Amino acid sequence: MISKLFQRNETYLFFVIMAFSFFVTVMNPSFLTVENMFDLVKSSSGMAILAIAFFVGLLSRGIDISFPAIAIAGQYIAVNALIAMGVDSLPLAFLISCAVGTAMGAINAFFISSFRMQALIVTLGTSNIFHGALLVFVGTRAINTGKLPHCFKAFGHMNVLTLARPDGTLYGLSVFAVLLLFVIILTWFILNHTLLGKSIYAVGGNYESAKRAGFNIKRTLFFVYGYIGFLSGIMGVMHLSLIRYSNPNYIVDTELLRVIAAVVIGGARITGGSGTLTGTLLGVIMMVILEKNLVLIGLSSYWHQFFIGLVIVLGVSITYYQSKRQNRRNLLFTD
Amino acid sequence: MIGEARIVKLDNLTLLVIMVGTILAMSIFLPERFLTVTNFQSMSSQFPEYGLFAMAIMLTMITGGIDLSVVSVANLSGVAGALVLASHVKAQAMGISPGTIIFLAILAALVVSLICGWFNGLLITAVGVPAIIATLGTNGLFMGIAIILTEGHGIRGFPEEFLFIGSGTILGIPMPLIIFIGVALLVSLMLKKSAQGFKMYMLGSSPLVTRFSGISNNRVIVKTYLMSGLLAGIAAIIIISRVNSMRPGYGYAYLLLAVLLAILGGTNPEGGRGGVLGLCMAIVILQVLQSGLNILSFSPFLKKFIWGLILILFMVVNYYQTNGWPMRNLVRGGVKTGAS
Repeated sequence: MISKLFQRNETYLFFVIMAFSFFVTVMNPSFLTVENMFDLVKSSSGMAILAIAFFVGLLSRGIDISFPAIAIAGQYIAVNALIAMGVDSLPLAFLISCAVGTAMGAINAFFISSFRMQALIVTLGTSNIFHGALLVFVGTRAINTGKLPHCFKAFGHMNVLTLARPDGTLYGLSVFAVLLLFVIILTWFILNHTLLGKSIYAVGGNYESAKRAGFNIKRTLFFVYGYIGFLSGIMGVMHLSLIRYSNPNYIVDTELLRVIAAVVIGGARITGGSGTLTGTLLGVIMMVILEKNLVLIGLSSYWHQFFIGLVIVLGVSITYYQSKRQNRRNLLFTD
Repeated sequence: MIGEARIVKLDNLTLLVIMVGTILAMSIFLPERFLTVTNFQSMSSQFPEYGLFAMAIMLTMITGGIDLSVVSVANLSGVAGALVLASHVKAQAMGISPGTIIFLAILAALVVSLICGWFNGLLITAVGVPAIIATLGTNGLFMGIAIILTEGHGIRGFPEEFLFIGSGTILGIPMPLIIFIGVALLVSLMLKKSAQGFKMYMLGSSPLVTRFSGISNNRVIVKTYLMSGLLAGIAAIIIISRVNSMRPGYGYAYLLLAVLLAILGGTNPEGGRGGVLGLCMAIVILQVLQSGLNILSFSPFLKKFIWGLILILFMVVNYYQTNGWPMRNLVRGGVKTGAS
């Protein structure tokens, strides 16, 4: 049992996170406080949801890079619809955003499943189509805090758990944490306890075998990309509530790289069919605490991009080098 | 082999028809602004940059990989070249001629681009990371190094003579175009006539077969990524000379355009197919369209939308060309039953 635990990527990642947190706490005692933890959860739950979405895509052997464009489209369309209708309702905003996201995901799925195109190339195209269409047909003007419907601001401030500081002021755990927990449980349930989840693993592991085993590949892919779109829609509204500002021009390239970095250091392979949800979440935690403490290690903000790139390269190198060695031991030629 | 050659010819024929069609359409509908020497000059000094990126991506796609780091490689080698060039005032005081400085700058840019390409190749072969994710990572890494080196600022102050590469003309032909044509000829020669080119096509068709026929897959791949790095380095030299400064982050939008061009030019992203001729026709089509959209003053967002749409549509057309059109099958089926 224990020796099996030590063969897993997640175990190592967990210890690295522990060691790093210990190091950071020694350097800066305010790191390991409940308040700081709550803050980290609030600011990074959006990224965690995107990471889960990207992870589900990777499981089916598809790199979906359109999620930043989908998130911004869902968010901006939802806000504009709410303002145009004069309604101040958060559930409606989520409904619109998720519907837009799911529809865009379905478009991706249509091209990927019907024409057997590489997901990366399809989503490279569709992310430009979605973003371009948003700016041309919906609008280019940013919506600032003043014009924003009240429900978003309230949602951004809502806490599920409130604690008091020694001086009497209050702080709390944001409602985002509940949303994130909901997404985690939903994804975990789908992946591990439904036939749909098994078919996602099967399609990613070996397309031909999955087809011959009788899995409905088209339906699986529609679910995968629809789900990615759905999660991106959720993230869009969350992000809006967090920064209280919606800018359709907002370029989300850095978000894209951060999410990919988190997922690949979590051990998910792009060659499909492998990786765990735990690994992905640990990857997100690792990425977030590393980023927040870059300054602490003595690196200026110019190092940020380099650092994310380095994490991706190191992360994938470790994962793939292991499997390469294993293949060689088993005399397996996967070229 | 015969079937393969026929498909390539067919692809190029389709492209030729589209190319002639777009040029004719532009000449008929916008003659006074499209058919001018200045327009042609500006068009032919714009495309070599992303044309070289597209060529780099095409080479890697032929072997069944992809190089998503080309723009970042160009940024990093551009910074390396620019740093050398920016020291020209100091160097001249030390008695080094501007010619030497320019030579050193070009050398620095090309060496850096080769190192980047070699690093990509090593990640893919020795470590065994799939090209798509390896180059996505190095994309961030190289750009990151470029940002660290410049601390996010632009580098300017190049010697006058250097600007000739990007903005000079010989007999009215812009220098970037001349460089591009030279490079395109060399790459075409490499693909069609050299052993490396042949191995690249074979590797893209089936890596397992090349492996068991005694070809070192790893060497072929490393050489391919070295070449794609070098092409990005050449693009970097043109860019810093044309813009007359270097600021990291330049040309991020070129990545989509380059992938689009490679696929439009008939390259199969799964490997084994593609060529310089198709790519060049795709570049002409896109540049003519772009110039038309500019003349009609379309918004950049609409262009973004259109490029994405073209990419997807072309992939769909490609799919039907290799797997048969659905309607044609229906018709043929109908004819058969009718005859019997």
